[in-house]
Amino acid sequence: MKQDLYDMIVDYVIENQDKFYRLAYSYVKNQEDASDIVQDAIFNALGNCQALRRPEAVKTWFYRILVNECLLFIRKRKREIPAAEESVFETPYYEKGYEQEESLYKQINMLEADVQEIVKLRFLEELSLKEIGEVMNMNLNTVKAKLYRGLKKLKQVVLEEEL
Amino acid sequence: MLDEAKKEYEQIEVPAAFHKRVEETLRIAQERKKQKGRLMRMKKRKQILKAAAGVAAAAAIVFTTALNTSVAFAKEMSGYPVIGTVAKLLTFRSYESEEEGIGISVEIPSLEMIGEEVPGMSKEVNEEIYELCTRYADEAVERAKEYRKAFLETGGTEEEWLAHNIEIKVAYEIKSQTPDYLSFVVSGTENWSSAYSESRYYTIDLAEGRLISLADILGEDYIELVNTSIQNQIPEKEDELGMKFFTTQEGGFTSVSEETKFYVNAVGNPVIVFEKYEVAPGAAGEVEFEIKERSGI
Repeated sequence: MKQDLYDMIVDYVIENQDKFYRLAYSYVKNQEDASDIVQDAIFNALGNCQALRRPEAVKTWFYRILVNECLLFIRKRKREIPAAEESVFETPYYEKGYEQEESLYKQINMLEADVQEIVKLRFLEELSLKEIGEVMNMNLNTVKAKLYRGLKKLKQVVLEEEL
Repeated sequence: MLDEAKKEYEQIEVPAAFHKRVEETLRIAQERKKQKGRLMRMKKRKQILKAAAGVAAAAAIVFTTALNTSVAFAKEMSGYPVIGTVAKLLTFRSYESEEEGIGISVEIPSLEMIGEEVPGMSKEVNEEIYELCTRYADEAVERAKEYRKAFLETGGTEEEWLAHNIEIKVAYEIKSQTPDYLSFVVSGTENWSSAYSESRYYTIDLAEGRLISLADILGEDYIELVNTSIQNQIPEKEDELGMKFFTTQEGGFTSVSEETKFYVNAVGNPVIVFEKYEVAPGAAGEVEFEIKERSGI
């Protein structure tokens, strides 16, 4: 039984590794760090596979571990790197006039951290709202509210660009 | 519009090296699992031994008065397995509690010295350990409470919070005990975040009854000696762990110092310990370097 669970997670990881990489990459924008994070997440998941009580929840469970690793990494980085480099993780100042061709994807990356996360999980990873709630430890209504806030903001940006 | 964003997201190129890395990771995890199985079996055996030691420790307490008053008696008793050395570590205070879904277990050790050559030494160390343990426990509970507050305020329910199973643990572990040295580590961890883990290592020279430093073991030029040894061992460790250490630019290893954590292993060699993320990617966990070299005197 325990062995089954372990193997199931292994299969799930192999099948979805590209998705994990992209999600991690979208946080840290760097190959090496993204690989590190996914690696940590895999170790974490496999090391604690008995914590996965419902095998059918493997997807939300793994995303949760992955998202936690991403956040842990970013927080650790912030602590270690003094102010000079910290700005990497802040929303960059954005001069509209010069780069009108900014894609929506880049706009998504400029939303607040948790809103950004929800938009990514919903539209890029195609998780359901309920699943996102489980991944992010939020109740459904909070997820909805944040998602709509994010979409509204994106709409605004898109409209502004089209004008 | 969102479709385009999705396309762009999916165009993030996944490097071939990453796939290899995942493969490697799965292999290492498999190895570790096997090892863990072995460790668990060993642990069970140890627990039985511990129970036996507990009985012996109780006997030791009965003897304490006699020991304090008579060194000769201590020496005579030193054939006895548990009190075979002049120092040992006992649990001074231990408690477990749970409040608002935050579980905490604390085990504070206390160093007991037997013999005449240690006036005040163990007291000082014990005060430091006690301060470290209680401070960590208090701060960790504070952090967990803040987390709980934030969790509930952002729409989490009490029930979901409980499912988090937050645990704080302060504990000690004897790293080695040889006829010459006693090494132990006192550490605090939180299961929901490894960002605040803290540990402190202590090594006691049993012959002299005092805390010792790397310089005491390796001589005054220990920094250079240890640095060279570590630099030489890094490639080997990289192979073993299947991952690269951080470069200096990435904030990796530069030099040891007085603050560097170490213990003395069973064969009497100092072992340098680096925390998770200190010199290598987090997946490597804590990284240890045994220093076998000695300065040529």
